[in-house]
Amino acid sequence: MEDSKLERTDLMRIPAGIPGLDEMIEGGFPFPSVILVCGSAGTGKTTFSLRFLCEGAARGEQGLYFTTLSEPTQWMMRFSSQFEFMRPEFFDNQIIYEDLGNILREGDSGKLLDAIESRIAEVVPQRIVIDPITVVGEMFKDNYRQFLFDLTNRLKNWNATTVVTGEVRPGELYPPEISYAVDGIVLLHLAEELGARRKYIEVLKMRGTNHLTGKHSIDISRKDGIVVLKARF
Amino acid sequence: MHPVESAAMNEKDLLLFKQLKAQLGVPLIPGLMVLDVRTTQFVRVELVLLKALMEEGQPGLFISVDRPHQYIVHLLTMHGIDCRNLTFVDAVARFSADSKPTSVKVGFFQGPRNIDTLPEALKNWSAADGRPSFDLGECGFAVIDNLSTLLNYNSQQVVRSFLTDFISALGGKVTVPLLVDRERNPNLFMMIKSLEGREIALVPENVPMPSDRARLKISNSNIKGGY
Repeated sequence: MEDSKLERTDLMRIPAGIPGLDEMIEGGFPFPSVILVCGSAGTGKTTFSLRFLCEGAARGEQGLYFTTLSEPTQWMMRFSSQFEFMRPEFFDNQIIYEDLGNILREGDSGKLLDAIESRIAEVVPQRIVIDPITVVGEMFKDNYRQFLFDLTNRLKNWNATTVVTGEVRPGELYPPEISYAVDGIVLLHLAEELGARRKYIEVLKMRGTNHLTGKHSIDISRKDGIVVLKARF
Repeated sequence: MHPVESAAMNEKDLLLFKQLKAQLGVPLIPGLMVLDVRTTQFVRVELVLLKALMEEGQPGLFISVDRPHQYIVHLLTMHGIDCRNLTFVDAVARFSADSKPTSVKVGFFQGPRNIDTLPEALKNWSAADGRPSFDLGECGFAVIDNLSTLLNYNSQQVVRSFLTDFISALGGKVTVPLLVDRERNPNLFMMIKSLEGREIALVPENVPMPSDRARLKISNSNIKGGY
């Protein structure tokens, strides 16, 4: 290497932890970055998020899970404990669970932004989840775009990879308000084929990454959560 | 209680703090130092490093090239660390759309490109230019957040020139610990060592995280390892 040239280093990546997905995105999500994981109800968005955090926890990374749904920790634990990758000892240690529901109900987007940032500064996480972000859009209709711009801009400076989940409305491919602000978009599809509902994953956007395109079949199992199935043909 | 101690640290960070304190010395040992840190752990280790450096009560310089200085100010404030003894040089805020307000001493530099002009600029800074007056001679330590980012904008040659001039401008009496991910930036790590940078060695048995254990195995070292 000539000393006078720029030394190009590959982007730092962290494994998403979803079997089969990391191979589609050069080994993992860029670090730091903000990734949108979206889909309709029942496609596995929360399972995806938990797997992402548990993967980090198993690697010694600190996780921070923001819920906007005011769902009690034990309620979330009740369902997620069915997955083998979930280790209860992660919670309150390497995965901190934070409910934003009360602040959200106050209707002050600036206060919500400050609350998120303060908790991040306190916990110093390497992996963050905000699940789901689209609830915020329903609360802050007038300044949702500005809020998303400020949020994603700030998240990128906190030296963490953030997964935000988004509910897709009928007729939409992804939540349009946030898509321009994120570094990556992972779609989780639910499609009816021959009388059965099948699930797919699709990487629509991943900045700085030579990613696989097209829909790939997924399964949700108790062992691994979401698994990208290998093509049989 | 000292302001630095007022922020609660978990067991792992406390261990790191103690190790860093031992390596930095009391009073602070001047000179260039390098610590191998995994990229994902930069902010956490930097926070503990700043706690260790600021405990001596000396004024310090914080050069921000990776993220606007407001983030570090927020981080330090949340952890109960008083920023009054820190002067920030922000070389990236002008690239950022961020407008978080802070009330610290900060001067803005034109950008991370051509960073080799910063040492001369620092010598000539004065309050008359709207920048905080800062006496390099009084400075006890300097932190750069982070050196690897400079390689996105400058050649190795320019970064080397910057480091050499920066140390010279500080008069050789200042502690300059640099965090570098050796696995990702081996050339940068070696460059610092070639500038007589002392490697800060941490005891691997005291690094309990699974990822770090894996890392130590990769580095095949019994004495030194990335944090």
